Amino acid sequence: MAENEFLEEKTFKQHCAKFIKHSEEIGDGWEWRNSKDCSDGYMSKTHFQTRNRTSVTEQLFPQAEDDFELFSDDSEAVGPAAASEVIRYEYHVLYSCSYGVPVLYFRASFLDGRPLTLKEIWDGVHQFYKARLLQEPWSTITQQEHPILGQPFFVLHPCKTNEFMTSLLENSEKDNRNINYITSWLSIVGPVVGLNLPLSYAKAMS
Amino acid sequence: MAEPERPPMSLPGGSAAGEGAPEVGSDTNALEPAPSAAVSPGTEEPTGDAKKKSNFPCFPLSGTVDVLLKAVGDTPIMKTKKWAVERTRTIQGLIDFIKKFLKLVASEQLFIYVNQSFAPSPDQEVGTLYECFGSDGKLVLHYCKSQAWG
Repeated sequence: MAENEFLEEKTFKQHCAKFIKHSEEIGDGWEWRNSKDCSDGYMSKTHFQTRNRTSVTEQLFPQAEDDFELFSDDSEAVGPAAASEVIRYEYHVLYSCSYGVPVLYFRASFLDGRPLTLKEIWDGVHQFYKARLLQEPWSTITQQEHPILGQPFFVLHPCKTNEFMTSLLENSEKDNRNINYITSWLSIVGPVVGLNLPLSYAKAMS
Repeated sequence: MAEPERPPMSLPGGSAAGEGAPEVGSDTNALEPAPSAAVSPGTEEPTGDAKKKSNFPCFPLSGTVDVLLKAVGDTPIMKTKKWAVERTRTIQGLIDFIKKFLKLVASEQLFIYVNQSFAPSPDQEVGTLYECFGSDGKLVLHYCKSQAWG
C-alpha cells in the first residue's frame, strides 16, 4: 500500500536499480551515474534516431544523383543519403525533491554537435501528442539547467506526474499488482520525446 | 465464454498502417465503413461468426484479437467494453477510437495500460500486445483520461 502520494528518494533509487537491471538484461543502454560527491545520482541513456530533413534544407542541397558522384570523396558531401539526419538523444532521469517525483531531462544534437532548438524538439514530438503539446507548449517542455551537471537540458514538466501516477498506483494496488514506479512513469512520458520502452519492461515488473 | 454484443471495431481508412480488418461483410456492426481487408494469419473462421452468440471457445477471429477495455479512476466507462480489434491496429488508433467513443476532445490525453501498469508506445500494435500480455483468450487494457504534463 502506498503510504505516501509522493515517491521518496530512496524508493526512487531502488526502482531505478531494478529498472537498470532489466535494461542490462536486454541491452537497452541505461546506466546509473553518480554526481561528483556521490550524494545524488540519475539514470542516463543515449541513443540515436534518424529524422527526415526539412524541405528548406532540401532546397539548399539539391540531391541529384550526379551531384552525389561528384562529391563522393568529400566527407562533407550532401547527397541523396542525407535526406534524413541522425540526431543524438541523451535522456536523464532525476529525482525532484520539490515535486517528489522523477523528472525526465533530455537534450538532443545533430552529429556535428549542433544542439536542437526547442522548435526542432517540438517538430520531433510524436504526432500523437502534438495536439496536447501545442495547446500548452511552454508548460510541457521547457529548458532548464540540469541540477547535477549544470548544463542546459530540456525538461518534461513534472507537475502532473504525481496526479497520474497516483491514479495508476491506486488502480494496480486494487488487484495486488507490483509496479515499478520508474518503469510505469517512463512508459507514459518517454514516448513524447522519442523514448520508447521495450515491452519486456512490463513483463519484468510483474 | 462467448460474450453477447461484441461488435467488431473498424476504422475509417486512417493513418495507421495496415488496418487489416477481417473481411467483414455488411452483416457486422461497423461503426464506420470497414477499410479494405489485409491478409492476416489465423483461422479461417467465417466472419459471420462475429455477431453470433455462440458456445465457441474464445479464440480470436482471423486477424483480430479480443480486447477488454477497463476504465481507471473517474474516466468514463465505455458502454461496450469488449471489442474485436484488428491485430495491426496501433495503440494510437485505439486511443483515438476510445476518445471518439467517449466524446473527448482531441487535446485531452488518454492513456492505455497493459498489466494495469505499463503504457505501450503509440505505434505498438494490438496483436503484439495480445501475444505478450493476453490471457484467457483476451487482452485486458486499462484506459485512463489524465493530464501527463503541463
